[in-house]
Amino acid sequence: MSTTGSVTTEGLTKSFGGVRAVDGASVAFHDGEINALIGPNGSGKTTFFNCVTGMIRPDAGTVAYAGRDVTGLAPHRIARSGIGRSFQLCRVFPRLTVLENVLVAVQPHGLLQRLRGMRNPDDVARARELLARVGIDHLEHAEARDISYGQQKLLELAGVLMGDPHTIMLDEPAGGVNPALVDRIADLVRELNAEGRTFIIVEHNMELVMGLSDHVVVFDRGRPIAQGTPAVVQDDPQVLEAYLGV
Amino acid sequence: MPNASSATRPSGPTPARVLRIGGLLALAAVVLLFPSLAPDPFILSVGVVILSYAVLATSWNLVGGFTGYISLGHAAYSGLGGYATALLILRSGLNPWLALLVGALIVALIAIPVGIASLRVRGASFVIVSIALVLILQLTFQSWHTFTGGSGGLRVPRPFGPDVLRPEQHERFFYLHAVLLALALLTWWLIERSRLGAGLKAIREDEDKAQALGVPTFAYKLIALVTSAFFTALGGGLYALWFGYLDPIFQFSILVGTYMVLMSLLGGVRSLFGPLLGAVVVGYAVEVFKSQYGDTQFHLVATGILLGLVVLFMPDGVIPAITSFLNRRRRAASIREVTAEELARQREEAAR
Repeated sequence: MSTTGSVTTEGLTKSFGGVRAVDGASVAFHDGEINALIGPNGSGKTTFFNCVTGMIRPDAGTVAYAGRDVTGLAPHRIARSGIGRSFQLCRVFPRLTVLENVLVAVQPHGLLQRLRGMRNPDDVARARELLARVGIDHLEHAEARDISYGQQKLLELAGVLMGDPHTIMLDEPAGGVNPALVDRIADLVRELNAEGRTFIIVEHNMELVMGLSDHVVVFDRGRPIAQGTPAVVQDDPQVLEAYLGV
Repeated sequence: MPNASSATRPSGPTPARVLRIGGLLALAAVVLLFPSLAPDPFILSVGVVILSYAVLATSWNLVGGFTGYISLGHAAYSGLGGYATALLILRSGLNPWLALLVGALIVALIAIPVGIASLRVRGASFVIVSIALVLILQLTFQSWHTFTGGSGGLRVPRPFGPDVLRPEQHERFFYLHAVLLALALLTWWLIERSRLGAGLKAIREDEDKAQALGVPTFAYKLIALVTSAFFTALGGGLYALWFGYLDPIFQFSILVGTYMVLMSLLGGVRSLFGPLLGAVVVGYAVEVFKSQYGDTQFHLVATGILLGLVVLFMPDGVIPAITSFLNRRRRAASIREVTAEELARQREEAAR
């Protein structure tokens, strides 16, 4: 695992056309904790995620990770610096096998290293271990498009873990999955957090967010309007207004 | 949990592996014996043409099959390879074989800036950029009389002396193309099983996701394109040495690039031998159409229809279609079995 560190943004801004999806957001996530990022639909959570992970270049502001400025770095560099992420609605490589999906994340330094076989015994063993951990090791030879949506969600998590990130950003991990699987994902997050991994989770399932997270950041119109422990945030009048529109 | 899937890929000599090695040996035997079995020099020359197509299609597949970036303009690299070889012999007096290699290296270098410019755009935009390159080269090579021979064409000196007769020429070039094909196939195979290959295939499936997992997508795409351009240029150069004549209209033709795409799609871009199979089928068909319908443009119509049929009914190509047909029953059974187990287990858990 890479060095400890937390994600911090200063005045992060990103507009699409005339809409400021993220509007001067300054947020400091807590290292070693399970952070949640919540907010009404269209409040800029996913755009914020994409700015932090390099998928989108912000118009203004900075992103720092582990004390280093990573603003505008290519996504693979940010991934290498220790931030792994999942995607909203779950993305896997449909025509690769379950095992290959996980092995993709093995991208060491140096061209010669990359020309080595992907089915290196050590890597395969570790990939199988991760697949077993999320509970889909029996499917390793199936193509990812042939497994269920819930299994794809678990596969995506296993792929992220293969990169051994210190910080894991999950975009709606409980979206569209059955309650039993939500519990399983929550357990996995707790376990991984206990091992020292930091989480930043975008999620609409309030029960999950309040039960799981140590620190909650509430977004509205592209910027944080409240943050604190779940109990504090729940009673914040601004949060109630943003959610209920009163 | 019983590991049902391990039964599908056991290690050691399995029937599938024996079949694969047997098939490989049979393929090698057919290629090696073809020149002595060919009834006349014309058939042998058709064999050379088909092998040349196979080299080009396999080389195309180094970028098209791995990254999913469909280049319709790969004739740029085969044409440049032909001209580079010829011009290095004619203007620098280089040994023909050295000229072939140096020419291909130059084309690989040219592919770097082309890739940096064109690999930034995906999908249809990339296709259009690739076509534009061929058209630019065609115009340039037609107009630049003093250097390239212009639209009048360029005669390529024969690498073998005048005492080597035509059938003998065909036979030598047949084997030379076979060696080049073997090298291109070996390269594809090595990349396919590497970490680089895993990253490239991930790009084909979902480029953003690949990048988020730490794959340096741009560098990988560039490596694939440059490797592909190198082999395509070798293919173009070798063909030029055999054919002995270059004309910009044919060298930088969209049709040549389209054939590479059609052959690869027909055989299957995800399979090592897909482009080779496609080249045999399409190459043979094109030669038949040309000899039957000679001066008409019927072979173009036939090519268009074939491309349409492949995309409509066999988008994955012939080889995957056959493989999945053979595997369907066994594979479906093993997955269904596990899913049922899962279900039962989940029900158990829910009941508790």
